[in-house]
Amino acid sequence: MFSYVLRRLGALIVILFGSSFLLYNLSAISTDPLEDLRLSDAQNRDYLIQALTRELRLDLPPPLRYFIWLRGVLGVFVGNPNFGLTREQQPVVEAIVDAIPTTIRLVAVATIVAIVLGIALGITSALRQYSRFDYGMTFFAFLLFSLPIFWVAVLLKQYLAIDFNDFLVNAKISPPWIIGLSTVTGFFWATMISGSRKRVLTIFAGAFLANSIFLSFISATEWLSYPRLGPIAIAILGVGIALGVTYLSVGLSDRNAVKSTLCMALIGTILYFPAQTLLDSSRPRVGILLLLIALLISGVAVSFLFSRIDRGPVIRTSIITSVLIWGLILIDQMMQAWRPFVESDDVNYRPVATIGQSTIWLSDVSFWVRVLDFAMHLVLPTLALTLISFAGYVRFSRGTLLDVLNQDYIRTARAKGLTERTVVMRHAFRNTMIPLTTIMVGDVAGIVGGAIITERVFAWQGMGTLFNKAINSFDLNLLMGVILFLSTLAILANLIADLLYSALDPRIRVGAGK
Amino acid sequence: MKLTRIAKVAIATAAAAGLAVSTLTPANSATRSTVVLVTSNQLTGLNPSVTNMNLTFNSEVAYMQSFGFNYYDSSPKLVENKLFGSYKIVSQKPFKVQYTVNKGKVWSDGTPITGVDLLLSHVICSSSYSFAAKLGDPTDNAVRPAFDALCYGGKYDSHHVGLPTLSADKMTVTIEYDAKIPDWDITGPGPSAVHTLVHLAEGKTGLQSAAANLAAKAKFEKAFYDYNTKLMKAAGDIWSKAYNITTVDESTNPLLLVGNGGYIIKSAITGQSVTLVLNKRHVTNPSGPKTSGVKTVVFRVVGDGTAAAQALRNQEVDIYQGQPTADSVKILSEIPTAKIIGGDQAVYEHIDLKAGTANGISEPYTGPFAGDSQKARDLRTAFLMAYPRDEIVDKLIKPINPKAVRMDSVLLLPGEPGYEDLVKNSGVSKYTKGSQSEREAAALALVRKHSATDVKINMLWGQPSNARRASEAQIAKAALARAGFDLNAPGRSGWSSYLDSSEYDAQFFAWVKSAITQEGNTDIFYSDGGNNLVGYKNKTVDKAVELLRGTLLSEKDKLAQYLIVEKELMKDAITLPIFQHPGVTAVNKKLQNVKPNPLSPQLVWNYWEWKYSK
Repeated sequence: MFSYVLRRLGALIVILFGSSFLLYNLSAISTDPLEDLRLSDAQNRDYLIQALTRELRLDLPPPLRYFIWLRGVLGVFVGNPNFGLTREQQPVVEAIVDAIPTTIRLVAVATIVAIVLGIALGITSALRQYSRFDYGMTFFAFLLFSLPIFWVAVLLKQYLAIDFNDFLVNAKISPPWIIGLSTVTGFFWATMISGSRKRVLTIFAGAFLANSIFLSFISATEWLSYPRLGPIAIAILGVGIALGVTYLSVGLSDRNAVKSTLCMALIGTILYFPAQTLLDSSRPRVGILLLLIALLISGVAVSFLFSRIDRGPVIRTSIITSVLIWGLILIDQMMQAWRPFVESDDVNYRPVATIGQSTIWLSDVSFWVRVLDFAMHLVLPTLALTLISFAGYVRFSRGTLLDVLNQDYIRTARAKGLTERTVVMRHAFRNTMIPLTTIMVGDVAGIVGGAIITERVFAWQGMGTLFNKAINSFDLNLLMGVILFLSTLAILANLIADLLYSALDPRIRVGAGK
Repeated sequence: MKLTRIAKVAIATAAAAGLAVSTLTPANSATRSTVVLVTSNQLTGLNPSVTNMNLTFNSEVAYMQSFGFNYYDSSPKLVENKLFGSYKIVSQKPFKVQYTVNKGKVWSDGTPITGVDLLLSHVICSSSYSFAAKLGDPTDNAVRPAFDALCYGGKYDSHHVGLPTLSADKMTVTIEYDAKIPDWDITGPGPSAVHTLVHLAEGKTGLQSAAANLAAKAKFEKAFYDYNTKLMKAAGDIWSKAYNITTVDESTNPLLLVGNGGYIIKSAITGQSVTLVLNKRHVTNPSGPKTSGVKTVVFRVVGDGTAAAQALRNQEVDIYQGQPTADSVKILSEIPTAKIIGGDQAVYEHIDLKAGTANGISEPYTGPFAGDSQKARDLRTAFLMAYPRDEIVDKLIKPINPKAVRMDSVLLLPGEPGYEDLVKNSGVSKYTKGSQSEREAAALALVRKHSATDVKINMLWGQPSNARRASEAQIAKAALARAGFDLNAPGRSGWSSYLDSSEYDAQFFAWVKSAITQEGNTDIFYSDGGNNLVGYKNKTVDKAVELLRGTLLSEKDKLAQYLIVEKELMKDAITLPIFQHPGVTAVNKKLQNVKPNPLSPQLVWNYWEWKYSK
């Protein structure tokens, strides 16, 4: 095991050396950094050309320049690394460190949403194999899989930013739209739940009706212009969360769990009132934390109250419920900041943003307006990334789950008389996660480097932009810094994935077969 | 299963019913006070006079924070900024010029602006001062002088005499030159907040009192005339390094942000944005601050053209200037909330033919165009005659800018004073008369006089990924084939380093004009000129260029010299201009008075005139 890791790390160094040498030389001969100066009519042009030649050591052939660069990088081993300066005289390491948080913010939410949604839909799809829902999901998965991100981005910006912002000025949903949207919702639920023809029709009609009423209500109250959850909605949604979480986690037959989660919904609704002053105070971050702690403590307390034996699952279920209710209260707080946000001169009634990470010049605004601003800038890029990456998770989790469901131990579990929920959630789902884990690790590395196009179309300044800039401005130090960072990350992620695989699956041992 | 379904339906219905009803008031937007500009470049430093910092965008940001003696308007023409001060020639022999700052002008920290603030220009431009004050050798690339300035080696450096003198009231500076130099008006000084430089050199980290500011200013004046190496070296160190920041926030030393322009940097985020706010002490008008309601100006970095266009449509940005293509112009023109301002850039595409070996190239050029023989001259003439300039303009440029015209002079842009006369007399008519097919036929006859077979020509252009350049090459290849030339023009990446190479017989690319000077771009055709890439040597041209470079001429005399140069060029068939690069600027319909300027600082030159209509 130890020698295996060492061997892999050794290979890492060889790969890094080879790829960096190749890339350095290829990039060095591909462009002319003096191009702008050659075409300029500036009086001191010759002097500028000389200065740049000296700065970039253009008098030396690229392979020699590579070794000068490498000498600096090898300083890592003596504790004195020198990755050089960018063309703007900023240390390369600093530029990369500045860019990483942005990229992570961009890809983290998208990746999490894609994983959760992808796995949920993939599993549903597998459980309804060869149903209308399954075919529908397969169709959408392949459709989304094949969409290029820049095109998705353009469409999303047009419809969800430009048109939606225009719509928000009045926020009236016209009847054709209500009917259309409700039809789509009806179809979704009908195919997802499926069953006999009569049942499908009932579900369709129910979902259609509920959705129409919901949308008409939203339109009539201008809820989209003045969004707010309020205690009543939080109570109702809280009950929904309580039942849903309990169902997935331990099953509704566990009355203790049902009681404690429902109790959490009640506590959440009551806590909503003191939370208002807590979150609106001058130290909102403390308020957020306090609220979470309060909810968690009451969650644990309630579970202890309602359950005598086998408390673990109940506590777990209550904690999940309290965290979700905590999220609801925070969302409500953001909704309350909506009007000041939209009406500010800087946002100017265009809440959904198409470019950038935030409305930078926004000043003298409350914490929640700023949070909302961040969120509104995150919506489109996250959605775009989610749309194109979740398809892979849908297909993969569907395939894996089907594979697992055909295993002997599943048949055994069923034969034992376990409920379908226990078979799927405990026996099948957990084993489905093993191959998925390794994929996720690899994906995260790929995504950090692969957001180049996304960052460009949404004008985010993360790793991708850095990479792009390095190429366009012939910034070899920066380019090599980014490449080195990403390739190290990719190779390490592969290693971690392999190790994780062997840790999760006892049937697999790394380094075996030697 | 059953329960969840019911639960879901119940939740959906109940949630809808449970929503609180809010008051109904229609949204209505007030007049904006923020202008957001898209930039594709990022800020690399606050002082564009430092060697590596002279980028267009740095200059734009610096321009908004400073208010000097003159600027280029959108014509483009040099305008004397009477609101700040005035300048004039006070003596012809010796040639002396005088710059006077108007009374009552102040920096953003309240310190009055005087002639002392103009002295720094001398320090950063004069090599002799650098030597005298022991600040280092400006020509040494390895060890930069204390002031790592761009200005060394320029016209001021080579022609000024002695130190600038201050008048008794310290509002006027007089500069002496060794000759009556052309373009003395753009060679002169600009204001710099020298008191902040002294404070910074002394390690201060915050704004100082009014008395301390005046004392610092006096200190600078004394140090300047005393060649005080210690203070000047410390100031130079600050001047060259401390301003090279890309992030500005609360922790930034406010002394670095003192300016006298209409707006002052409030914040900057590396690679993302620069935010400037109104400078409350800026007086553009003697009667008081004259602003037009714009309180904040924001530059946002957006690299992608489509993203910028959509952001404009979403009203997140107000001004976008981009690389125009027929498609992008169409997209922008369909935005209902924006208007398009066309116009040209100070960049022109042209075709050059090699006449000899370029300066500094060891391998001699021996292609078909080499030398002064009748054959080479005829072949060059035929090539330029058949070059399909009209077709290129019609097919590639007019869809973007319907008002585009074919350029016929390399020294003046269409619309500049004297252009019409120059074109009429320069002999360019040889390449414009008749139709394209007539010219091709005439060219073919010329070629056949010297060669029975088609003449092989290697033409350089780049980048191969540039669609417009690729189309140009294609159009040229087809037309020249009909005139007896076999054009080999595949395009080359890294092309700009081959412009003086003897491998190629012809090349088309674009020159960028960065200022309007008397010498103009005649340097391109000077025998020893650094920009002479085609190995062209002509004594008549050299004489004219030397005159234009060394002596201040009247407008009429200048144009006469231009005509001499241009006549020789046309006679020798060296070069032909093709078109001016089109520019496209899309602006929020409500934002008034945005006038693109082809020269730096481009869009922002008249920022004080920007205003929103109701």
